[in-house]
Amino acid sequence: MAATRSSEIGDLVQIKKQLISIIAQCKERGLVHSVKWASELAFSLAPLPLNEIAPQPELTEEDAQDLDALCLAKSYFDLKEYDRAAYFLRGCRSQKAYFLYMYSRYLSGEKKKDDETVDSLGPLEKGQVRNEALRELRVELSKKHSAGELDGFALYLYGVVLRKLDLLKEAVEIFVAATHALPLHWGSWLELCNLITNIEMLKSLSLPDCWVRDFFMAHMYTELQMIKEALQKYQSLMEAGFAKSTYIISQIAVAYHNIRDIDQALYLFNELREQDPFRIENMDTFSNLLYVRSMKPELSYLAHNLVEIDKYRVETCCVIGNYYSLRSQHEKAALYFQRALKLNPRCLGAWTLMGHEYMEMKNTSAAIQAYRHAIEVNKRDYRAWYGLGQTYEILKMPFYSLYYYRKAHQLRPNDSRMLVALGECYEKLSQQVEAKKCYWRAYSVGDVERMALLKLAKLHEQLNESDDAAQCYIIYIQDIFSCGEQLVHAEVSTALRYLGQYYFKNKLYDEASLCAQRCCDYNDAREEGKALLRQISAVREQGEPSTDLTLPCVFNPLSNNTTPVRRVSPLDLSSVTP
Amino acid sequence: ASVHESLYFNPMMTNGVVHANIFGIKDWVTPYKIAVLYLLYEMSTTKPMALLDRRRLNKLILPLQQGPDLPLEQFLKIVEECCARMANVVKLRLFLIADGELQDMEHFFTILPNAFTDSEAFKTSVVGLFMRQMLLAYNKLSFSQVYKLYKSLQQYCHRSRQPELSAPPGEDMELTSNEDPSADHIDKVELDKVTPHHSELWSDETQGPLSQKQAEYFLARQAYLLKNDENKAMSPAKLQDELNNILKFNPDFAEAHYLSYLNSMRVQDIYISTHSLLHYFDRLILSGGEGKSNGDEGYGRSLRYAVLNLATLHCRFGHYQQADLALQEAIRIAQEANDHVCLQHCLSWLYTLEQMKGSDSVVLTEDSVKIAAHFCLPYLASLGIQSLVQQGAKQGMLANRLLDGLRGTDIMHWKQSLSELVEISLAQTTSIWRMYGKSTMALQQAQLLLNMNSLEPVNFSVQQNNTEAFAVALCHLAELHAEQGLYAVVSDIMRHLKQQFPPHTQHAKLWMLCDLKIQFEKAMNDGKYHMAEPLVTAISALNSTEGLYRKAQLMKALNQTSEASKILQHLQQRCEKSKNIEMTIRVMLASAELHWDSSGFATALPLLLQALALSRQHNLQNLASETVLHLAFTQLMLGIPEQALVLVQDVLESVLAHGALIDKGRALLLAARCQMALAGTTTEENRLSAMELAVHTLDEAAVYFSRLDCKERMRDVYYLQARLLHTLGNFSQRNKCAMLFRLLDQELPLSGMTVVNRL
Repeated sequence: MAATRSSEIGDLVQIKKQLISIIAQCKERGLVHSVKWASELAFSLAPLPLNEIAPQPELTEEDAQDLDALCLAKSYFDLKEYDRAAYFLRGCRSQKAYFLYMYSRYLSGEKKKDDETVDSLGPLEKGQVRNEALRELRVELSKKHSAGELDGFALYLYGVVLRKLDLLKEAVEIFVAATHALPLHWGSWLELCNLITNIEMLKSLSLPDCWVRDFFMAHMYTELQMIKEALQKYQSLMEAGFAKSTYIISQIAVAYHNIRDIDQALYLFNELREQDPFRIENMDTFSNLLYVRSMKPELSYLAHNLVEIDKYRVETCCVIGNYYSLRSQHEKAALYFQRALKLNPRCLGAWTLMGHEYMEMKNTSAAIQAYRHAIEVNKRDYRAWYGLGQTYEILKMPFYSLYYYRKAHQLRPNDSRMLVALGECYEKLSQQVEAKKCYWRAYSVGDVERMALLKLAKLHEQLNESDDAAQCYIIYIQDIFSCGEQLVHAEVSTALRYLGQYYFKNKLYDEASLCAQRCCDYNDAREEGKALLRQISAVREQGEPSTDLTLPCVFNPLSNNTTPVRRVSPLDLSSVTP
Repeated sequence: ASVHESLYFNPMMTNGVVHANIFGIKDWVTPYKIAVLYLLYEMSTTKPMALLDRRRLNKLILPLQQGPDLPLEQFLKIVEECCARMANVVKLRLFLIADGELQDMEHFFTILPNAFTDSEAFKTSVVGLFMRQMLLAYNKLSFSQVYKLYKSLQQYCHRSRQPELSAPPGEDMELTSNEDPSADHIDKVELDKVTPHHSELWSDETQGPLSQKQAEYFLARQAYLLKNDENKAMSPAKLQDELNNILKFNPDFAEAHYLSYLNSMRVQDIYISTHSLLHYFDRLILSGGEGKSNGDEGYGRSLRYAVLNLATLHCRFGHYQQADLALQEAIRIAQEANDHVCLQHCLSWLYTLEQMKGSDSVVLTEDSVKIAAHFCLPYLASLGIQSLVQQGAKQGMLANRLLDGLRGTDIMHWKQSLSELVEISLAQTTSIWRMYGKSTMALQQAQLLLNMNSLEPVNFSVQQNNTEAFAVALCHLAELHAEQGLYAVVSDIMRHLKQQFPPHTQHAKLWMLCDLKIQFEKAMNDGKYHMAEPLVTAISALNSTEGLYRKAQLMKALNQTSEASKILQHLQQRCEKSKNIEMTIRVMLASAELHWDSSGFATALPLLLQALALSRQHNLQNLASETVLHLAFTQLMLGIPEQALVLVQDVLESVLAHGALIDKGRALLLAARCQMALAGTTTEENRLSAMELAVHTLDEAAVYFSRLDCKERMRDVYYLQARLLHTLGNFSQRNKCAMLFRLLDQELPLSGMTVVNRL
């Protein structure tokens, strides 16, 4: 494991060499996932010329002695006969054999634990079923650890044992030590990633200075929802030469999904599927995106494709669930999410999605159950909290749902959907002040659904704060037109109608007639627009004759500062977060 | 690689809803259960047995069945206490199985049904049901499960046989032993505890899962204790640990969430309590979710009560606006579902909320009582009546009507054994009598409550319930004793209160305030104003109005009149706003006293008359007599001692009957001064006898003051006596009084207050 510390990202050949060596090492020890990760990465790099390929590392005396036992044990290990493997390795001295020995004992315990769960003595014992080997392993490993005899792989195993025993603090220390000892082993990094809960904790750790660290940081940023930083990291990694890595592409796509940049994410996923058509990982995220965009044919194609590859995968079930959900066959969708959960009960997304399906089926109690399960798996799942809030809102309990929305908002402080939901609840409870704060805040953090301003304006309208209402409508209209794409809102006409009346009342006939004319563009407001125009002309004939009815630029007068609209008030609210 | 490995998938899930008890089996066979079964089997098959032994064993059955799994050693010890022979037999048998083969255990289960034939263990008895349940559970076990059971039985026996060996000393102890490190620890801790029904037994039992029934029993017991006797319940932290433990093993056990809500209410933790409450109802909605979607039962119903409970939570934390919103929501959905009972509950919370907010809610309460009576909800109805009585008492309703109302409900409480309401009613009567100034009646009612036996059917060795009613009664008792100068008794009562209601519990504030008030009064009587000052701060923290009043009193005593008057004015406004009549009158009296200090006796009169009218209107006899004494003093100072004496004599009787020691002394002192003043104006021949009368009255006053050890007043008394005796020519007595005066005067610091302008 030498010569990894000083290497720079620029030296791709060196990296490739390191990857090849770690692949071999992990393979010998049965660490399949790390092998996969490293191989994927190695594949994305250019192949080495023949003379660059490193020779097999030389065997030590101990290795030679253990060679046969190791071979035998490895074959048993590959066939999942862990106890048998451990038995034949018990006398071996070499590090490699020792790791495989301990690792098979650990896996044997895990396997037995899973089997036990099925026929335990009663439901209460179920939570208590545990890997009996863990304690022994811990004792032995800790003895070796204090003697300083553990190599990077053994340290990793020790960390895993500690984590399984819920000794998280110690586990973090050991994993950090493992990354120092063997920076190329991605498994240790990944385990570390699961144990870090916040950015402060991340900063407090002293991690080895190696190119893998960049991958880890990027992954970590994604986990901590610091998407911007994550994207930057991945970008620089791609520029450094990993551009072809499917791993990085998928990670970036997931990151875009998290910040709801749907187009980018879709593009990347499509690219990913082109490069790696039989990939199943992350496809559930892809299907979520297709679902959001209601891209039925694409989703259907994806679903069929995945079923052909492997229909008993969690991701496949989720994709099919999404597919049925998009086709409004919610019973079937729920069925597939259930199947996903049977395959992996800890699959968080499926619980939440199942909750959504039950909501669609108006089975609120089952929905609540599903969401609760999701929260149990991960307390920080804002979608489940939001779903619970929605469920109670449907049950006409706005006050009750406030708590859940608040929870969701806490987890995603800058997500406008939670704020709008909170605002709606407050509105239903006639807490207009709070509602206004929520809507304004939702607008300030960047409203995805572009509903907050409209709701705010309507609220002002109800409260007879016509200046504020007009102001909100103006911003709303500007917002809608500036974003370019045609949204399915019929509400522009409402805004125009109100503004027309508002200007008319304030005797600003030019602006009023302008609004009225624009009103005529919309079916539902045409009559009123015409009526207003007639009124305006009637008033003009009576009173002072106005000179020009032809305004060259459509919306200039609205944003013109000569309008008497107060521009301050909504901004006052922005400082107070609800 | 998810962190949440503990969550297992529930195969009993259909349609997204978990049916936890799909087979209806609540208990599973554990090694401990086998031991209990052996005991039962031996008991039913052993024919000749000493009657005493049998009785003791019989008494043991239920606790053993319901309790948590005990280590074998402890189990045997408990049995040994009752019948050593039986313990031996059971032990032998168990070890025989453990050392033998699996076949032996199977054999035991095959012979177990023999116990039903020709013995007292009927199939339908508690014991019979338990045995059959165990048999059923055993027969359902699969091959590997049976093997596992046998293994764990071996371990169970083995562990108890060598408790010392499995725990080698040193740092590696916990590491090398394969068992739970705490299991041995429990063994050692609990060796000396015998009866399984002690709550302490639970407290160390943090490891190991409870079976469903045991968990239910545990929750019920803790909830009961929380309600009735918080001290006996587990400490909040421990209880939370235990609950977390239960929830870890059985996340669907919704009741645990509710207990967690109650538990966090104890420590005033709004976050956890809200979270647990909502979680509980989320779970509850599921369990009741079958079939009827919005009807009287199940799902819709729990929704309504969920919101109502949320409202009560906010009420308890004093978030009135939130509570109001939640309550409105509850009312709305209850109305939509036509649920009158729920509406009724909402209504009673509505008036409680209004009351908490300080607004008038009589009309609401009356409505609530009427409707509750209509829907046959006696509990709510009498709660409403009690609330009405409380409001009525504050608003000066006729006493006979109030007490009649209380008596009417009392009859119903006794009939229906609503012990909680009986307690409240007694405590309320105590308070009312105290407010009216009838100390004897108050004392009697308080004693009645304290000596009452609890009516609770299941009484987990709780002698006296630690409800608010008891705290109130005890506080009254303490204050009543303090009034009579029996400070030793007071400190005894306080000690008891502290023990029963430790400072972190919810009713602790009651006795804290009461204790502070008593200390303050004592310090003021002793003239130790420097000691009273910190007390004022402490009182203000608990009750700001009371604190302000005490502060004004202290200021007055320290001759800081302008500050005192400012505070009193502020206080007066506040009291009038909150309609706190008692305090208003007190403030008026204090203001009048301030007027005296500036010799504005005439200006004090209208205030006093107003106070008198108010106190008469509200039947506040104590305050009325106090006011009359104030009036009499004012008249004395204005130079009409005849009138003053008449007034004093009018109220003297009631003061002597009900008043505090200090009031008695003050009344007599005032009477004596009136007599002195009168003696000055009468003819020569009457003068001497009048003076002697005054001396005599002063003697009586001195008795009361000396009992209180109120030196300042004693000094005044001696001074007056010396003067009188001098006039009477009784020089030896005069010299004695003068000397006593001199002694006290030297002892006491110079006070600005002269004997002249003080009541």
